[in-house]
Amino acid sequence: MGLRFAAGFVIIAMAALLIYLAFEGTKTFYVDRFPLWSFLFSPEFSPDANHPGAAVFIVGTIAVTVFAIAVGGPFGVAVGIFLAEIAPYRMTQILKPAIELMVGIPSVVYGWLGLTLLVPLIRTHTSSPSGFGLAAAGVVLSIMILPTVITLSEDAIRSLPYSLKEGSLALGATRWQTIIRVLVPSASSGIAVALILGIARAVGETLAIQMVIGNSTQFPKGVFGPTAALPTEIVTDMPGTTAGSLLEHALFSMAFLLLLIAMLLIVLVRFSLRRRA
Amino acid sequence: MDTQPAETSTTAAVKIETKDMNVFYGSFLAIKHASLKMKAQHVTALIGPSGCGKSTFLRALNRMHDLTPGAQVEGCVMLDDQDIYGADADPVVIRHRIGMVFQRPNPFPKTIYENVVYGPRIHGERDRRALDAIAERALRQAALWDEVKDRLQRSALDLSGGQQQRLCIARAVALNPEVILMDEPASALDPIATSKIEDLIGQLTDEYTVVIVTHSMQQAARISDDTAFFHLGEIVEVGPTNQIFTHPKEKRTEDYITGRFG
Amino acid sequence: MSATTAEPAPVRGVAATGGVRVRKTADAIATVVLWAMASSIIVMLAAFIIYIGYLGWSALTPSFIFGVPKETTAGGGIGPEIYNSFYILILTLLFTTPIAVAAGVFLQEYARPGGFRSIVQFSAESLATVPSVVMGLFGLLVFVYTFHWKYTALGGALTLTVLNLPALLRVTQEALSSVPDSLREASMALGGTKWQTITRVVLPSAIGRLTTGIVLIAGRIFGETAALIFTAGLSVTANKPYDLNPFHTAETLAVHLWYTHSESVVPDVDRIGNGSALVLLIMVLAFNVGARLIGRALTKRFTGRSS
Repeated sequence: MGLRFAAGFVIIAMAALLIYLAFEGTKTFYVDRFPLWSFLFSPEFSPDANHPGAAVFIVGTIAVTVFAIAVGGPFGVAVGIFLAEIAPYRMTQILKPAIELMVGIPSVVYGWLGLTLLVPLIRTHTSSPSGFGLAAAGVVLSIMILPTVITLSEDAIRSLPYSLKEGSLALGATRWQTIIRVLVPSASSGIAVALILGIARAVGETLAIQMVIGNSTQFPKGVFGPTAALPTEIVTDMPGTTAGSLLEHALFSMAFLLLLIAMLLIVLVRFSLRRRA
Repeated sequence: MDTQPAETSTTAAVKIETKDMNVFYGSFLAIKHASLKMKAQHVTALIGPSGCGKSTFLRALNRMHDLTPGAQVEGCVMLDDQDIYGADADPVVIRHRIGMVFQRPNPFPKTIYENVVYGPRIHGERDRRALDAIAERALRQAALWDEVKDRLQRSALDLSGGQQQRLCIARAVALNPEVILMDEPASALDPIATSKIEDLIGQLTDEYTVVIVTHSMQQAARISDDTAFFHLGEIVEVGPTNQIFTHPKEKRTEDYITGRFG
Repeated sequence: MSATTAEPAPVRGVAATGGVRVRKTADAIATVVLWAMASSIIVMLAAFIIYIGYLGWSALTPSFIFGVPKETTAGGGIGPEIYNSFYILILTLLFTTPIAVAAGVFLQEYARPGGFRSIVQFSAESLATVPSVVMGLFGLLVFVYTFHWKYTALGGALTLTVLNLPALLRVTQEALSSVPDSLREASMALGGTKWQTITRVVLPSAIGRLTTGIVLIAGRIFGETAALIFTAGLSVTANKPYDLNPFHTAETLAVHLWYTHSESVVPDVDRIGNGSALVLLIMVLAFNVGARLIGRALTKRFTGRSS
């Protein structure tokens, strides 16, 4: 039946994606014979000298993601708690559409906002000469993952049975004690999913950070120094490559690496959900 | 009509008493002019057909209606000699002194130990040995100690329904309340678990005052000292359990007891 | 017997004492902090919108909205880019909607729980987490390299189809599962076939939520960038800004905003950026609000209820 084929198309698309990227992404190692170890760990990125080490970008991705989840994570969970337990109806009516709007804003607009608002701010108030760098990218990314973390945390807490809250309050706990000691621990697997999906969003975000991160191929000198991440490097250098070159293969390897990280995060999410006793 | 409560079984002290209490849900008057004296270290049962307001009445006794937007309680509820709805009364303090056990067991997804000591912990107790002592005392009083003493660190959710409910009783008792409110505590349990809970209630009155809502007249007859019959939000009749069940004074009471409605 | 450690002193009175006051203060502080955090989000969003509106307003001249972009001089417009954004959007929806709805109907109404169904769910979830830039490279490999198309609107649309398939699939599934089973049972009890039940009862009931979801996803497609850079390209057809040929190179507005701020050398970057950002924002708002309104209207029309 046609319907079954449509569903199968999803599988085919995913499989094709994996195969194409695996094929193209491993050319760096098979065709150009650049060692995997160097690709992953060498801080020197000079494709002209046949040495495209991607460590700078891997570290950049990790750094920017850690920044985003460290700032946006707790903030998002807190606002999720607020929506589930504290916000009166009128406030919810304003806040939820606001969050939906945030989701709708294209990442290029966030990047542009970062470029025109945040970067000059960093330039004038810190030691950074240009304002571009890790901090700018981290802040922009924190804002971008907020909607994901907020809505999933809110869902996690709302889906708890009312009897839990009732039982705690009947024992003389304050509302905050109930939230911190009973509700949040009980919703822990749902909140973990919220954070993991926030991380997934951060890892894959490209345009917004590319516009503010500085796009240098060096490790950042301090939090405000320019650097690059895996997706931003792809976007910066891919338009200028020649087909079949080592640089192009290296960029595809980076894309493949991103794909693997994304799939790993999915597995983590499923694992978290299964842990819900 | 007449709100004078009848003479009850003995002249023991009154622990908790409502005076002309009204409970509104929005504009709907759910409880009308309820005046009831509940005696210290006795079991008072609240009976009546479903929807008559007995749970609503019970929840007013520990200010659980504060949690429901649109619910309003008028009149006063005296615990010893203080009005728990008074201007300076704090629900958090009141719920320390008046505990509640719900119809469905609602243990927290934590260990058995953590469930029992939750109350003392949130009220500030930190000393580990004190908490251990409280846990043992509470679990013994709930007739659960022997069954769980070797697995206090296991999840409370692994216990059977009856055990979970006794755990909830232990949790309430851990705070050394003065009054324990029970809202149909055995209705979700099988007969064996139910009889364990009923035996337990008898022992609890050594230290606590118990007010229990039940839809089973047989249960009320078995375990309570005094019984109040509710109908359509009013207390129709109150008196010693024996007297209510053998010589009810009101026709409505007699109709309910003999099964003509409800 | 019980241990000999003394238990805490019993509580007397009904008023809040020292320990209780501390806890209530903590509760109050926490509440204030959370209110502040939630409010800051609203404030920040409002600030963004006002900022973009204020800066971009002056750039919105007809010559800007309808004019063509310039490579190196000032005065360029975004007409073809807006056209391309819509072109690719419509094309993408044309491909994605039938596939996603069909797959969703299959999964929700026909499939038995088991191997095939789980694999499809897993594929959809994985596809959903793929970063858009990776999807763009995939499109590059398939359409530009393997098919030898060069940069085309069609290539971009097909890439975006794969990118948005999981989202639209989930929207379909949620819309279908929001239809109560009692409706299906009623239809079957009257002798309807499964297919009739779905097309005449289930889908019309679900159409409101379905459309809301589609329009919201359309908003995201409109703003998509990373997946289009390598598939639809960075330029527009030289002499034919409003090209109907699906194989034309099609820089969209979102891509244009990025391009002018990273590669391009025109002197009035700021003006173009401000104006483009505002147009994008207006479109997002339009899609957001429109999604709700259309959804509500359709639900009313097809089911007679208002939600």
